[in-house]
Amino acid sequence: MGIAVKLDELLHERRMTLTELAERIDITLANLSILKTGKARAIRFSTLEAICAVLNCQPGDLLEFQPNKDSAERPRAA
Amino acid sequence: MPRHQPAALPIAYVVLRVLIVLNWIYGALLLTILGLSLANEQWTFMALGVPVSDQTRPLVMGMRAIAALGLLTVPLNLAMLKRLVAMVHTVRAGDPFVADNANRLQAIAWVLLALQLISLIIWAIGKAVSTPAHPLHLNAGFSPAGWLAVVLTFVLARVFAEGTLMREDLEGTV
Repeated sequence: MGIAVKLDELLHERRMTLTELAERIDITLANLSILKTGKARAIRFSTLEAICAVLNCQPGDLLEFQPNKDSAERPRAA
Repeated sequence: MPRHQPAALPIAYVVLRVLIVLNWIYGALLLTILGLSLANEQWTFMALGVPVSDQTRPLVMGMRAIAALGLLTVPLNLAMLKRLVAMVHTVRAGDPFVADNANRLQAIAWVLLALQLISLIIWAIGKAVSTPAHPLHLNAGFSPAGWLAVVLTFVLARVFAEGTLMREDLEGTV
C-alpha cells in the first residue's frame, strides 16, 4: 500500500491505547486495528475527523504517502 | 444474517428443484425416443405419424437430428438450473454479492445464448424437412424474449461483478 497509517506513532506520542481511542471515537477495536495495521482499503472522512479531533492532529499527521511502496492490486471479479 | 426472507425465495428453490427433475425426465424421454428410432425405425416413426419411405427419409433424419439437439439441451439446462440453485442458496444465506455468483450468471448467460442458437438450428431443420403431407410444428426459432434474456443476463453478470467489488470496498472501509 502506498499510503502508510501512522496511528501507532500518534497513539504512542499521546500515551493513548487503541482500545481507548476506539471507545472515544465510537469505532470497533477490530476496525481500528485494520486501520492501524494498514489493511484498510479506505477511510471515511467521519472516521478521519473523529481521530484527528481526539488525537488533536491533522490528517497529514496520520497518513503518509510512500511512493516506493506499490499499491496493492486487488483481483477483478469476472 | 438475512434481514428479510421473502416467500419468493423458497418458492424459487422448490421450482428449480422440480425443473431439475423435469429436465432429467425430458432427457430420458428424448433418449428413449432416439434409441427406439434407431432400434425399431418403422415402428417408432409410424407411432409418430410418419411412415418411413424414401419420400419421408429427410423428415425422419431431420426428426432424429432435432431429438439429438434436444438431448444436447439437457446438460445445458442442468448447468443453468444448478447454478441458479446455488445462487438462491447464497441469497438465503444473506450473501449474494460474491464473485462466484457473478461467474455463475456469466455462465448462465452463455448457456442461454447456446440454447437460443440451438433453437434457431432446430427451427431451420424443421423448416427444411417439413412437407405439406407431414408438417412439423415446432416451438423453436427466433425469440425476442429469449435474446433479451441473454443480453439481460450478461448485463446482470457485470452488475454482480461490480457489486461484489463495491461490497469488498465497503468491507475494507473504516
